[in-house]
Amino acid sequence: MEFNYKDVVAKVADCLVRAGSTFRQDKKDAYKCAIASEELERAKWNLETILDNAEVAERDRSPLCDDTGIPHVFVEVGPNKCLTGAMMKAIEEGVREGLKELPGRPMAILGDDKGRIDMSGGISPNSEDLALAPFLIKEVEEDVLRVHILMLGGGPAIRGITHRIFHKHNLQVVLDEIVNRAKDATRLLGCTPCALAVGVGRSQFEATALMMEAMVYSDFNKQSDMEKYITDKVNESGVGPLGLKGKTTVLATFMKVGPQRASGVRVVALRPGCCFEPRMACVEL
Amino acid sequence: MEIRTITAPFTDEVLSSLKVGDIVNVSGTIFCGRDAVLPKLVKKIENGTFDETGIDLKGGVIFHTAVSRAGVGPTSSNKAELEGTMPQLTKAGIRMFLGKGELKDETIQMFNEYNAVYAVIAPVTALLNSKVLSQKCLAYPELGMEAFYELQVDKFPCIIAAAHGERLS
Repeated sequence: MEFNYKDVVAKVADCLVRAGSTFRQDKKDAYKCAIASEELERAKWNLETILDNAEVAERDRSPLCDDTGIPHVFVEVGPNKCLTGAMMKAIEEGVREGLKELPGRPMAILGDDKGRIDMSGGISPNSEDLALAPFLIKEVEEDVLRVHILMLGGGPAIRGITHRIFHKHNLQVVLDEIVNRAKDATRLLGCTPCALAVGVGRSQFEATALMMEAMVYSDFNKQSDMEKYITDKVNESGVGPLGLKGKTTVLATFMKVGPQRASGVRVVALRPGCCFEPRMACVEL
Repeated sequence: MEIRTITAPFTDEVLSSLKVGDIVNVSGTIFCGRDAVLPKLVKKIENGTFDETGIDLKGGVIFHTAVSRAGVGPTSSNKAELEGTMPQLTKAGIRMFLGKGELKDETIQMFNEYNAVYAVIAPVTALLNSKVLSQKCLAYPELGMEAFYELQVDKFPCIIAAAHGERLS
């Protein structure tokens, strides 16, 4: 399949910069609602500061956060579209160009397997050396080839949990365990308010892929009953913006439930996305 | 809302006047370090070689952040490498840690012994970048963004989250 390599690189690079520097309108609206509902002055001030920061970052096309995140690519492929290895190479090159432009934090760890684990191999000084995570590819009904770039920060990775829950044939058991895990995670995160991302699947891989999909299709204006329940229960903790108390610990929950195993176990991936997540943008190729 | 500006390094008088919940702007000289470099500095303090660095920590601020082309922003202060280094760094003169996340009760009590405080700063890199006047690497340049830096800053907005043995509640 023929395609314009330079055009794909440029589009993907621009997409990455937007992902790292822009709040979507639905997120801005969610912040404005939260500011209006907070009674504690410092909670309001924290939320306003985060929103002010988003305006400056968008205006300057500069990073929302100094932890610019690890680039993750999610590709939607329509019925008559094709994603070739050459296109994947162009997307990879676009990610490198985007990291140079943003600029991404230089945090690629050098060295062999052992050196990369304990960091004895050092850190590359080049933003663009940060490798992207493995591609996620999804077949969709819409006839598009659409690339989503998500920039996943370290704080939520520290506090995220992928672990089984024994459901006991009771939905409430699973929801309440997600709430308990999220309460612990948000209390320690520091960068609240969160956008919780949840995937429920049959294996660790599937649950995590579903969690990524939940972020890709996230909309702060659309919350299912289960998502709203989780958000409301975690907000009862009162952790608040930046962990300094208040009503807004979680702005929204994004949950994707996949096919399930005929057994007593559900594998749940939970990511307490920080105040900037889902930090993402998309582009059609 | 009127926000008070305090200039680092701090005197005991300034530190004593800070209360939990105060929103303040921090200006002046602040140090920056995180997971990789702070344990190395603590090792120097413990083995008596810190003076060789020529760095004066008295009344100082340590911002738990990397310093890179992307800017600055707080990392979680409750990570073992960070919260675990607070006692020695405080003993050596540091009087404010800037970061994010909840600290242990024993850490907050330790601060009280030295009239030190913990302030939370939002991860608002785009805003903070506009307030950095200059930056200089002081130690361990080989650590790249994780080296020990000194910044001159103008009005970093933060909230006092722990002071005088109390925490925000």
